[in-house]
Amino acid sequence: MDLARRLFLGQAARITAGAAFVPLASVAEAGINDQPPRRGGDPEKRYAMLIDLRRCIGCQACTVSCHIENQAPLGKFRTIVSQSEVQSTETGGLAQFMLPRLCNHCDNPPCVPVCPVGATFQREDGIVVVDSDRCVGCAYCVQACPYDARFINERTQTADKCTFCAHRLEAGLLPACVESCVGGARIIGDIHDPKSQISRMIDEHYDELKVLKPEKNTSPHVFYLGMDERFATRPAAVPGLWDVRDHEGQELGYEYAEH
Amino acid sequence: MQSIELIAPRYGIAWYPWAVQYFFLIALSYASLWLAVPGVIFGRENWKAAGRLALLGAVSTAIVAPITLLADLHQPMRFWHFYAYPNPTSWMALGSFFLPLYVGAVVVLGWLVWRNPMRAHANAGGVQGWLARIVPLGQWETPRWAVVLVGLAAVVFSLGVMIYTGAEVAILKARPLWHTEYLPAMFLITGLIGAAGLVVVLNRFSGLRHPRAGDQMLTVILVSLVLAGLVVAGWLAQGLTMNEGSVAAAIDSVRNNPDWRGLAYWNVVVGVVLFLGAGLMEIFGSLRGTRWILGLLALHVAWMFRWTVLMEVQTVARNSAGFQHYAIDPGSQGILGIVGSFGLWLAVVLIINMFVPWRTALGGRDEAEIPSAVQGEPNYG
Ligand code: SF4
Ligand code: SF4
Repeated sequence: MDLARRLFLGQAARITAGAAFVPLASVAEAGINDQPPRRGGDPEKRYAMLIDLRRCIGCQACTVSCHIENQAPLGKFRTIVSQSEVQSTETGGLAQFMLPRLCNHCDNPPCVPVCPVGATFQREDGIVVVDSDRCVGCAYCVQACPYDARFINERTQTADKCTFCAHRLEAGLLPACVESCVGGARIIGDIHDPKSQISRMIDEHYDELKVLKPEKNTSPHVFYLGMDERFATRPAAVPGLWDVRDHEGQELGYEYAEH
Repeated sequence: MQSIELIAPRYGIAWYPWAVQYFFLIALSYASLWLAVPGVIFGRENWKAAGRLALLGAVSTAIVAPITLLADLHQPMRFWHFYAYPNPTSWMALGSFFLPLYVGAVVVLGWLVWRNPMRAHANAGGVQGWLARIVPLGQWETPRWAVVLVGLAAVVFSLGVMIYTGAEVAILKARPLWHTEYLPAMFLITGLIGAAGLVVVLNRFSGLRHPRAGDQMLTVILVSLVLAGLVVAGWLAQGLTMNEGSVAAAIDSVRNNPDWRGLAYWNVVVGVVLFLGAGLMEIFGSLRGTRWILGLLALHVAWMFRWTVLMEVQTVARNSAGFQHYAIDPGSQGILGIVGSFGLWLAVVLIINMFVPWRTALGGRDEAEIPSAVQGEPNYG
């Protein structure tokens, strides 16, 4: 079976329980909120990313190189590695959990149909992009993405997000994050090509792969290997970073606030 | 497993208080229009006083609402993209067509209704007389059928606006608190509460002080509050058993965030006070002089509901732990924007009031000329 189709069916099976929680899907969707046709890009390809968490050391090299490559404003990220300290309640043992986040280039992206002017669209090769000349900055797509993968870039005043570095892919280069990954944890490629590294890895690890928030029925195309189920949705964690306060209760250490 | 989040970005809010202002004003507008239907469109004598006030409310808020919507865009000068590149799958794109149709129909309705009394001032001097000669576009009497036709068209477009504003938010599965069909119902009902409050406040501060209009609006507020209670009960009942979805997310937020707790208590308390106040006034006529306080409270309920839903929900983190911090900006993206849009609305009302004799529309009497018009209700200053 075609790999893309298999992935879709696999995810569909995992989300059937979640489907009960999307009653509006059936009501509001008489054409409205359906996926508009894809445009541009190579219809032969379907780009996807596999992140091998076993190799991620949380060094944030991808975060930094993406920032330099794509010039996101300070404090806004197209990709970042979320880090949590995890303690086992049984043994008391400590571990760190790293979770690189980026746009999932979903196959059913909720950010696309909402765009009132079609500035956000999905290319035939699956990459979800924003036409910043057309975007009116309504931020509807920012609200619609369940993964916080989008933001309004204060410099351009338009929606901004990861593009899988489409401009680099077109030039035959790897995305900045993949290029700079110290552990080789990020693998990008065409899942329609059975010989690509990502296709081979998906085949090999098919049953262990996880996606984020499968219950949202978005069919993400960033796959995680070595992922703990408990982090697939919003983890039940204590916010550590922003809770550093001085003796007057003022928050400390947030230096890249609005400037 | 216990875990502490060490690194996560802070996600700011993407819709600013302008969005609250828009949702507030547009709901006031369409609900005011509905309150004007019996008196203005169907010509029911009993509802004409309320109709005059409600029409003023509907027109003035319809003029200001689109401005607040534009202000919430990060690229307001590109608004023409809505019409150059419409995307039919987007509720917001549909709204960009409903909204101007609605605003246009309401303004034309106001013009049709107000041009009759305006013509009577054609001999007046100064700007008022000049406008009274220019604006009615001729001396013809406004035909009834034109008011009915444009009025019904406005009602149809208002339904479009009501549906799109609700659906636009409720389809967003990314935010479980919004993703419920009970949300559009609550937007609608709190809109009615606010519109009735607006009529009460206009009734008092325009000096019209029409007792029947005031009582009718109290009834609207009471009935709407009961409906709101039923909707909330239905929402809780269908969601309490699920460990996902909007009720679960709401309970989680109220449990884990003191700000949310305060907000929840406040909303419930204000709703109950409004209900008791309106109920008491219906029973004891003597309290009616203070109706305008309830009117303000009703407006507060409608506004606060939108603030809670649109702003506070954005502080619920989707992927990181805890809550996103949101401090309201003192500038145009925050307090200045809120105050500014209310100021703009007030200016529009004052300008209409100055140049349009709306009180004498629909066969109303001008209480400035006939002081006895305020009789029937004690003058409570
Ligand atoms: S992750 Fe978000 S921005 Fe990316 S395609 Fe999916 S919904 Fe759209
Ligand atoms: S912010 Fe831009 S890309 Fe996003 S929905 Fe609005 S117009 Fe479309």
